[in-house]
Formats: sequence, C-alpha cells, structure tokens
Amino acid sequence: MFAPVAAPTGLPIRLAMQRLWLTGEVLPAGARLTVEHVFQSDEDHPLEVIYPFPLPRDAALRRFRIVAGSCETHSDLIETAEAVKAYELAIEQGSLSALARQYGDGLVNLTVGNIRPREMVTVHVELLAGVELRDDGFRFRFPFTLAPSYHSQMRAVTAGGGVELELPAGFGDLILPPFLEDASSLHQVGFALSVRHGAALGEIGSPSHAIRVAPGPAGLTRVMLAPEKDVPDRDFVLDVRFSEDTPQVLSGPSGDGKCAFAIVVPSSRFGSRTEQARRVAILLDRSGSMSGEPIAQARKAVEACLAALSEQDEFLLVAFDDRVETAHAQPVPATREHREAARAFLQGIGARGGTELASAVEQAARALGAGDIFLITDGQVFGTETILAEARSVGARLSCLGVGSASQDRFLSLLARETGGVSRFVTPRERVDLAAIDLFAALGRPLASGLRAAHVEPAPPPVVFAGTPVLLFGELEADSAGHIDLAWDGGSMSLTVPSGAPETGETVRLLRGSRLITDWESRHANADAPSPLEKRQQKRVAARLLQLSRTYGLASREMSLVAVVKREGDRSGELPETRVVPVGVPQDTEISMEAFLVSGSLFSVDPELALGKTRGRDAAAVALARFDAQPPATESAACCADLIDLASMLEPDGGMPGDSPEARAARTVAAVLAFVAGGHTLRSGAFRRHLARLVEFLKPLSTAPETDARLIATALDAAETGHAPDGPWLSLACDPGTRWKQLGRPWE
Amino acid sequence: MSLGELAAAAGLPARTVRFYIARGLVAGPAKSGRGAVYTAAHLARLEWIKELQSQGRTLAEIGAIGGGQSPEVVPEPTAWWQHAVADDVVVWVRAGAAPWRTRQIRKWIDQLARQLAQANDEPGKEQDP
Repeated sequence: MFAPVAAPTGLPIRLAMQRLWLTGEVLPAGARLTVEHVFQSDEDHPLEVIYPFPLPRDAALRRFRIVAGSCETHSDLIETAEAVKAYELAIEQGSLSALARQYGDGLVNLTVGNIRPREMVTVHVELLAGVELRDDGFRFRFPFTLAPSYHSQMRAVTAGGGVELELPAGFGDLILPPFLEDASSLHQVGFALSVRHGAALGEIGSPSHAIRVAPGPAGLTRVMLAPEKDVPDRDFVLDVRFSEDTPQVLSGPSGDGKCAFAIVVPSSRFGSRTEQARRVAILLDRSGSMSGEPIAQARKAVEACLAALSEQDEFLLVAFDDRVETAHAQPVPATREHREAARAFLQGIGARGGTELASAVEQAARALGAGDIFLITDGQVFGTETILAEARSVGARLSCLGVGSASQDRFLSLLARETGGVSRFVTPRERVDLAAIDLFAALGRPLASGLRAAHVEPAPPPVVFAGTPVLLFGELEADSAGHIDLAWDGGSMSLTVPSGAPETGETVRLLRGSRLITDWESRHANADAPSPLEKRQQKRVAARLLQLSRTYGLASREMSLVAVVKREGDRSGELPETRVVPVGVPQDTEISMEAFLVSGSLFSVDPELALGKTRGRDAAAVALARFDAQPPATESAACCADLIDLASMLEPDGGMPGDSPEARAARTVAAVLAFVAGGHTLRSGAFRRHLARLVEFLKPLSTAPETDARLIATALDAAETGHAPDGPWLSLACDPGTRWKQLGRPWE
Repeated sequence: MSLGELAAAAGLPARTVRFYIARGLVAGPAKSGRGAVYTAAHLARLEWIKELQSQGRTLAEIGAIGGGQSPEVVPEPTAWWQHAVADDVVVWVRAGAAPWRTRQIRKWIDQLARQLAQANDEPGKEQDP
C-alpha cells in the first residue's frame, strides 16, 4: 500500500508512520476531531514509534482506538504515572501498546510500542479544539508539523538536511521530532471535515491548502483536501465567513440532567467605541525565525499602525530578540518627530537572534503603565508557561498577532486571553500588514468592560474589542428558563438558550472542558527547582487538572491515555527499536537555525552545513549580514504600491502630507476615495481608523470655495456610504504634485 | 537486571533508555530476546550520559565522543559561528568562548560590518590610506 521514496535519490525510504488524516466536525465554538495515524513497519524487528505533535488552541485529547489486524482496543484515561507503568508492562510482555501523554507547551508524544515487522497499526485519536473567532466567522487551525522554537537553554543539532532540538531537564522526557528541510518524503497528510453552521454561510477558504468544498446534509458543508495527499510542513488553516454577524447559540442536553451551551456574541452587539486617547506599546519580534517576508511585512505594518495614531495618543515601540531595544525610553505622543524617529528605528530592524519574549513584555509593561501592548511575533518559543506567568504578573493587557505556518496559535491565544487581550494568527503567505492594522484599529478603546453572567464558566473576558466576539460556555439546569443574561458596565442583553440536540450538548460540554483544561495547563510552572510557593502552585494546578480530566473525560498533563492490545504470539522480553517520526521544517521558515546560531547553541555535525551549502545556513548568513545593514529606504511619495503605503503616509493631524494647504487637502480627498474604493469604510475594513482620521482632517475644510467643497463633500459621502466614484485615487493621493484640478469633477 | 530495573536505577524513564539504545548511545542488552539482561556497565554508561548532559552536551555530541558503540560515529566536531558581515566577507569564530570574550568579538564584528557597509556606500573612500 505504501512505498515512499526519497525525492532526491528515488530510493525507497523507511517510514515508521505512513499517514496522518484529519476528520471531524468544525463548529463556530470549536471542533470535534479524529486524527488517524497509520504505522507500518518494513523492518525486521519490532518497533516503538514516537510521534510528537502540538495541540491546537484550547485542545484536549479525549480517547483513542487502536487497530492491529483483527484486534481493536479503546484507550483508558488514567493518572499519568499509572499510564506509563501500564504501557511499560505491556512492552515488557511483548504486547502492542499505545500511550498518548501531554507535556508542557501543549506538546504530546503518541508512543506506539511493539509494532511487529510488516504489521499495520492504526491509531484513531479523538480530540477537541478551539477556533479563532471573528465577528463574521472563525478560523480553524490544525498543526501538521511543529515549529522549531527557541529556548535559552536549548541545544540544536544540525544533521542530514535537518535540525534536532534538545530541551533542558525541566521539560521531562518529552521527545521532539527531527525537523527535515525536505518534507516531500515524509508521511502523507490530509483532511476531510464537516463545517456545521447555524448562520448563513458567506464563504469558506483556506490560505494554507487547496480545498474542495461541497454542500452536505442540512446545516453542514464538507471541506476536503483537493489533491490526493499533502506533506507535513505547515498547519491546515480554514476560514469560515458568515453573511451576517448575529449571535450564535449551540446547546443541548449534556447527559447529567443539564443543558450545556456555547454562545458567540459579535462585538457589534456591545455598542460603539468611545473616542478616548490611546496608549499603546508595539512589540516587534525580530528573532531569526521572523526573517524574510514576515519581518518585512511586520515592519511595514508597524509604520501604518503608527499612522493610525493621533497626536493625543501615546506610543512606545519595542523590538526584541535575545535583546530588547526601544525607539524611545518612555511612551511618547504620536507627533511628527516621534513618528519619524520610530520610522528611522524600524529601518534598522532586521531579523536575528533568539526570542526572549518575557523580558520584552516586562520592559514594555513597566514603561507603558496602563495601556495596551500589541505584540507581533511568530511565538516560536518553548517554556511558554513561564512566559505566561510573567505576562500575568506584570498586569499588562496583551494583544497578539501571530505570524507563521506552524502553530504557536495555542500559546498566543492563551497569552492574549490570560492578559485580557485578543489574538489573530496569520500565515506568512497572507497580508500580515493588513491583519496587523485591522487588529491594531481595535486596541486601546474597548467597546465594553465588566462583563458578567450567571451559569457561565470560564468567566467572560474582562473587555470586548471591536471585531472579536465574546464566547461564553456554561450549563443551565434543564428546568431553568432557558436564557442567559449578559450584563456589562452600561448595558445588558438576554440570550435564549434552546434545548437543542443531545450530540450538540455533548460536544459543547467537551469543548468547555477542553478550554478549562487548557487554561489550567497554562498555569503549570515548569521550574527545574521550584520554590516552596511554586511547589504549592504546582500541587494546586495538578489537583485541578485531575479533577477536570475526571469530570470531562479528557486527558491533561495529569491524566494520560493508554491502551494494550494482546495478540497471539506476543513474546515477552523483546526490545523494540525506538523510532521518532520526523516532521517538515515549517514552510516559509527558511532560516529556523539562525536563532540557535546566534544564541550560541548551534552544533553542526553536518560538514555540508558547516560549509554553508544548505539553505538554512545560507539564509542565516544573509540574515546576519543584515545585522547592521540598512534595509532598502522607504518608498518615495510617488511610488506608493498599495493602501498600506498610503496608510503610513498620514500626518499626525490626520491629513496627507503636502507643501501647501491645497496639496494636503486635495491629496487627503484622493486618499479617502482610495480607501473607500478598496472596500474600507468608517465602520469596517482594516483601514477604518485611518479613514476616520482623514475624515476628521477634512471636516473643518468643508467651507472651502465651491468646487473644492464639493470634492470634500464627495469624499465625506463616500466614507459614509462605502461607494467611491471611479478614478486613479491611489496614485493621486501618493503624488506630491496633486492639486484640486487633478481630481476633476468626480461627482459628475 | 531488566530494562525496567536499569531505568529505575538510573532515574530515567524506560522509554528514554530505549531511545538511547536506538541512537547507539548505549549498547543493547547483554543477552537479547526473552530474559534480556543489562549490567552495571549499562548503568555506568547512563550515568555518564546524564553527567555530560548536565554539562550542556547534546546527545549527538555524546554519541560522537562516546565512539565505538554507535553505528553513526562521526569525527569529533568543532562548533564554529559563521558571521557573514557582508555579501562577500565571512568571519568564523570558534564557539564556546567565555561570555566576555564573545561580547568583545561580537563588538568587533559589528564594527567591521559597519565599516564594510560604509565602504560599500562610498566606493571612493576605501582607496584612502
């Protein structure tokens, strides 16, 4: 059935795992998934195969089923120490055994032991996972590979066209996969999912994979991988958009006489923002793994974000790798001089070094005081629980834009949620800059705060930001009135919870458990030598995780899944040979080794690599060369490539630059029309803040002579209605020579 | 002793011991198949690996220095850092220097990179004495 060959040589290769296939159902509040792992050995001795993988956001393993020939067994959920003992005993006795054990950072080792020569073993793992919510839909993300992340005490070894990572003792016996630069000869991956939606569907798409979409039975849409198979070098990302942003309620009996519910309330239901001055720190990750397109796009995005600030707003710009640098020592008003200084600072930013996220957050929080921190990063770090603990302790509100093709989505969603912020995660092949501006537009001015509701756990978020809905999980007594009252400072709403179907109730109950377990997992201290206080915290977290695992029947660090299959002819005492399943270096992460190189932990046993012949090292060399080199100068006013360049040109008073009041006003009118023609209005689109500032600049000018006033009125009208007349508005806005007469009479 | 007893004596999970054996860091059992036997030599080897790991050595390094037991033995390597200070200039620095020395070297490399970049921007100047 399987005969993989190495692409460069055409020779057959020995894979311990041949196939990984994702199926299941994705809902607006999370997903219930089954991952099929197919192992088949062509070796002459029994194997023990370890497949390391990261959990998606808000995920927990529920159970697995293991099939070998005619034998089939379901897993038991037992305390981890007991599960390990049961697994080892089965290995000793020669039986087939499988253990799914969770470690820190949401990493799992699926270990399957005593696979006989030429025996096919299939493990079907069931898990629950969260989704990234937006007002008009959601993004589902599933990791097919793992990000080779950074830890200050980690050691990296390069060999055979890839890299192996070793973590310090505090990470326990977790085994990481070897990362191969060429994933084409690794196991096949693919998916066939159903999307369940109550609201009318607007569109379904994937920025990561070619997909086929087909209508399914009522309320279901089928999504499949279009090609026959794919390679494990990136996450699968699925975007689902609804045609309306109405609250969605999923509910049903949850088996214990109660009704479980999940409610998604779009932010638009919480009113409009107040126009107060903003205080924001922007943290830009310049670590080696951000090198290339991500850092270039991020730099551009930060410039455009700064242009969305007015002179009353204050900002702090911080770039970090294993060192932390700031454009200014303290937050400064967004005046022309400060923005120019920030722009100059940004131009010196290239990617390099490791990722010391915690100290960057701590420094930014100390300098900022009250306000929002906006973090742009790939989140490629190990030991995330320590970073989360530090971020919680500094008390800053963090919102994260993740960039990457391998999931650190779990970590960044936790970092944002645990500090009261919001997060988005984009792939490097999407417009990182647009996503940054969109998220940034919401920060600093929450729509609502002080949210509270009975029967809801986990607690509602402390604040609501524009664009990101609120997700509420909870349970009602079956005989209660069937509604939830959600209140916040200055407002309230009542949401009806229908009795629903039992399968929906069960799924929602499990999604809630999975979310609670993820929250508590993130509080587990990973210290090598814990202080008495940390020990108490560890005990408390362990006890809570045990209780949650038992209540919901879901695995955690404290409880693992184990199964033993006794087959005829099992021989005790035979030593299986251990194989670790490799994964691909994530797509677009060409210089993943650069961070290790600069942090001094790179150790090369590959002479090809040492001579700089491989892609990784070549790229590292280029990145290092950029250490002090100036990146290309920013675009001149006349060669404005797109709206993001236009956005970064806004002056602190909200208008476009120009050498006369006429030039400024005419270019501002053209800029408004360019944004509107690009689909942005005062209420929607990534550039809504920029548009608002342009409009604020134009409003006092509407007493200008008649023709000019009509042009201004046309622009103001366009911003309001979202309809712009045809015209070369982008180039006119960017051209310093634009005056009233160049704009013509667009109202005619 | 059995694998379980060996692992317990070394304070390591049995899976880790099997992983080391598969990597050639530790020899297989003295007697294979049913009733596989591990000896004090296996235990000493595991203690030695733990000791080297605590000194910051990687398993690949340990495999390389250990010699003899691994089918993938490679010559003892030396780690170097490669700093490409310009498109046509690379500086190699041996890894493992003291932190103060690393900082010092890093400073000089930064300086060199800056000067080379300047020379590139002003092509006439490098002719000056």
